Amino acid sequence: MRAEALLRRLLPPVLWLGVWQACAFGVDLWVSGRGNELLLPYPFTVACALAELALTPRFWETVLLSLCRVFAGAAAGGLAGVLLAWAAFCSPLLRDLFAPVIRIIRATPVASFILLLLLWTRRGFVPAIMAGLMVLPIVWENLSQGLRQADPQLLELARAYRFSTRQRLRLIYIPAAMPYFRSALLSGIGLGWKAGVAAEVLCLPRPGMGTEIYNSKLYLEIPDLFAWTVAVVALSLIMEWLLARLLGGKEGK
Amino acid sequence: MNLSHLTVSFGDKTVLQDFSLTLPDEGITALTGPSGCGKTTLLRAIAGLVPLNSGSITGISPLKTAMLFQENRLFPQRTVVQQITDVLPKARRGEAMSWLELAGLEGDAHAYPSALSGGMGRRLALVRTLALGGELYLLDEPFTGVDTPRIQALMSAIAALGRPVLLSSHQPEVLALAHRVVALDGPPLSVVRSGNMWE
Repeated sequence: MRAEALLRRLLPPVLWLGVWQACAFGVDLWVSGRGNELLLPYPFTVACALAELALTPRFWETVLLSLCRVFAGAAAGGLAGVLLAWAAFCSPLLRDLFAPVIRIIRATPVASFILLLLLWTRRGFVPAIMAGLMVLPIVWENLSQGLRQADPQLLELARAYRFSTRQRLRLIYIPAAMPYFRSALLSGIGLGWKAGVAAEVLCLPRPGMGTEIYNSKLYLEIPDLFAWTVAVVALSLIMEWLLARLLGGKEGK
Repeated sequence: MNLSHLTVSFGDKTVLQDFSLTLPDEGITALTGPSGCGKTTLLRAIAGLVPLNSGSITGISPLKTAMLFQENRLFPQRTVVQQITDVLPKARRGEAMSWLELAGLEGDAHAYPSALSGGMGRRLALVRTLALGGELYLLDEPFTGVDTPRIQALMSAIAALGRPVLLSSHQPEVLALAHRVVALDGPPLSVVRSGNMWE
């Protein structure tokens, strides 16, 4: 059983690394000259480039700053989403006021937002604002749905037992909304991270992972471009995993 | 406590129509009658959870009642002991274990409601209501799924609280232990007879 489980875990990455390796080999065969260097490097070349980058303090400084930007923005967006969802839940008028704005935020292309924000604010702020704008509508929508799922029988009990607003929140609304909030944060943080890095590519804040991706492409350092991309993907997966563990706590008893 | 000319309707259905009843200020009064006759609606009206179309309730404020619902309505994410502490003010939280002992649940203090049997859940919901306190206990089918020896122990404990209790039940052992039984019929709800079990 353990061997089978291990095989099931290892098979997908091994398979897709194999596909990458085969494609790089194909490029090596059919594109003469610097095909691998300019179009598709081998996985090992990318791993070497990543290891080389990871040995420099600048890499970690860049990663940390990008993470801080995106996290700060996502946290602010999440908090705004929670507050707006609660306000909208308490007041149908506020819900009607917020709903079209949230819909517009969701529908506006990420690139348009980035370019507009670049006009209105400093380039270092754009990735954080973009991350926040990605997280806010998801948290707002999911949380609003979660709050509406609060058990009406428990709400009636709260009324009969004269619970305070704090007790209602702690015992009824938060447990009802938590699974929705959790899934909103998990998908929101992934989207926020992608949008934040995309904003860095267009705004070029220094230092920034997106800036490094842009520079790698500009100077045709394709293994570095792949290495930074791998770092972005790995960080996204790590963040999702950490967040799932952090939020997975006390539900479903 | 006087219930005077109460009328409660839900759409076209009238559950209480010009219903009047006087209840004693002490002891356990049991309401019995066929399912759907309006016992629950009457209890909910006294608790202020159902709006009256007309009539009045005097001698008790809905704010001073403690209601046990027909369903247990336990918080799924809270442990057995937390179900009690959650309804108690900070100064009284130390009482939680004694309420659990009354329900025979002291050994399950840290279990979650999903791990309890039907009878255990009912006992927990009952002691939670008793712990909440009030000037009148309204207990809707409080002993569903509870065995007879425990019913006797709990009825004695409820009587010892010294607060008036109005409960609904079909169980003969509960009616036998009540100080007064009101037999009802309906809807619309009407009193068939009133007295103790043996009258």
